[in-house]
Amino acid sequence: MVGKNCFAIASDRRLGVQLQTIATDFQRVFKIHDKLYIGLSGLATDAQTLYQRLVFRHKLYQLREERDMKPETFASLVSAMLYERRFGPYFCQPVIAGLGENDEPFICTMDCIGAKELAKDFVVSGTSSESLYGACESMYKPNMEPEELFETVSQALMASVDRDCLAGWGGHVFIVTPTEVQERVVKGRMD
Amino acid sequence: MSRRYDSRTTIFSPEGRLYQVEYAMEAIGNAGSALGILAADGVVLVGEKKVTSKLLQTSRSAEKMYKIDSHVSCAVAGIMSDANILINTARLHAQRYALSYQEPIPVEQLVQSLCDTKQGYTQFGGLRPFGVSFLFAGWDKHHGFQLYMSDPSGNYGGWKAAAVGANSQAAQSMLKQDYKDGLTREEAVALALKVLSKTMDSTSLTAEKLELAEVFLQPGTGEVQYQVCSPDALGKLLSKAGLTQPAPEA
Repeated sequence: MVGKNCFAIASDRRLGVQLQTIATDFQRVFKIHDKLYIGLSGLATDAQTLYQRLVFRHKLYQLREERDMKPETFASLVSAMLYERRFGPYFCQPVIAGLGENDEPFICTMDCIGAKELAKDFVVSGTSSESLYGACESMYKPNMEPEELFETVSQALMASVDRDCLAGWGGHVFIVTPTEVQERVVKGRMD
Repeated sequence: MSRRYDSRTTIFSPEGRLYQVEYAMEAIGNAGSALGILAADGVVLVGEKKVTSKLLQTSRSAEKMYKIDSHVSCAVAGIMSDANILINTARLHAQRYALSYQEPIPVEQLVQSLCDTKQGYTQFGGLRPFGVSFLFAGWDKHHGFQLYMSDPSGNYGGWKAAAVGANSQAAQSMLKQDYKDGLTREEAVALALKVLSKTMDSTSLTAEKLELAEVFLQPGTGEVQYQVCSPDALGKLLSKAGLTQPAPEA
């Protein structure tokens, strides 16, 4: 979700196989560099592998170009990598959030074969995506400061995952501003 | 008589020498020198920049030093275009290792793989060897700080202090005399600058002609840091060591 010169990216913490919960501290939001994060929902193994491959590509980019990747460029990279597997896809829906030129917040999501969807306010993915769309739509306000953004994102996330039996066990929220990153674990209904 | 044996890389001479490899080392002997010194708390790499025209607009930040991965970097002496290819190969290799094993590549393994590539060009394919010598500096959790030198033949060795490029023999013998175990990074930098100032051809030693990089562990986080010295800081170091001479009148 976009705020005023900042953005928030959050996920739940459950890892499950249908009805069985395997872990309650699963990391789904990953850092690419200080001002770029990616959240990967869907099949856990694909999320991890895709993240590792993206780190590979980004590290080489950093070494050759001697700078970090811009979020828009990164989104194109993710989209291309997903489409490469058009007929045997990664079962992941990424959510990409970063601070671009002049620290302008940038967010986007895509489907598992790389169809990019840019937005100015918020993007969601995962099993609770329909609830998330509703919750974000009603709670979102433009130009929120980091503190208020954190509240909004946490409330929207908790409300949506509570109605979804496959998501929950707390939330992991990152608030990223040009100067710092705040990482917080939100405690919700632990079921 | 040796003429018959040097046109192809893949032939030994009767004396058991590989001429193409030796000619490659000759080429490196004409290139800008590079020095590496292993200190107790880091590794210091210094390079002499050969091309210092005012007209040169450098797009890259460094000409002699390159980062291979966050924990390994290298200094180069020889044909720059050959170096670029090998550095790219090294970078890819390091990332592929990290992707498969999810941990940083041990420095010696990286050096070994690069040297295997270089060796290939001395045995098959009919291609000439790479005209580059490297000084690799890095840190890993197995052996701490390390310095390796590799040459066109594909040989490499771990060193406490090493020199490649122009006047490397002189530099190496000077290092042999003055190197002590347990040097700090600062002392290593001072030693490197002193040795380089004696072996460099040019009359005046200014910050523009040199590049200095250090590999060390960040005090707070323990992460490996590769830091290239800025020209100003380098100028200060040179004057502190009493090595700057007035630049010639333009």
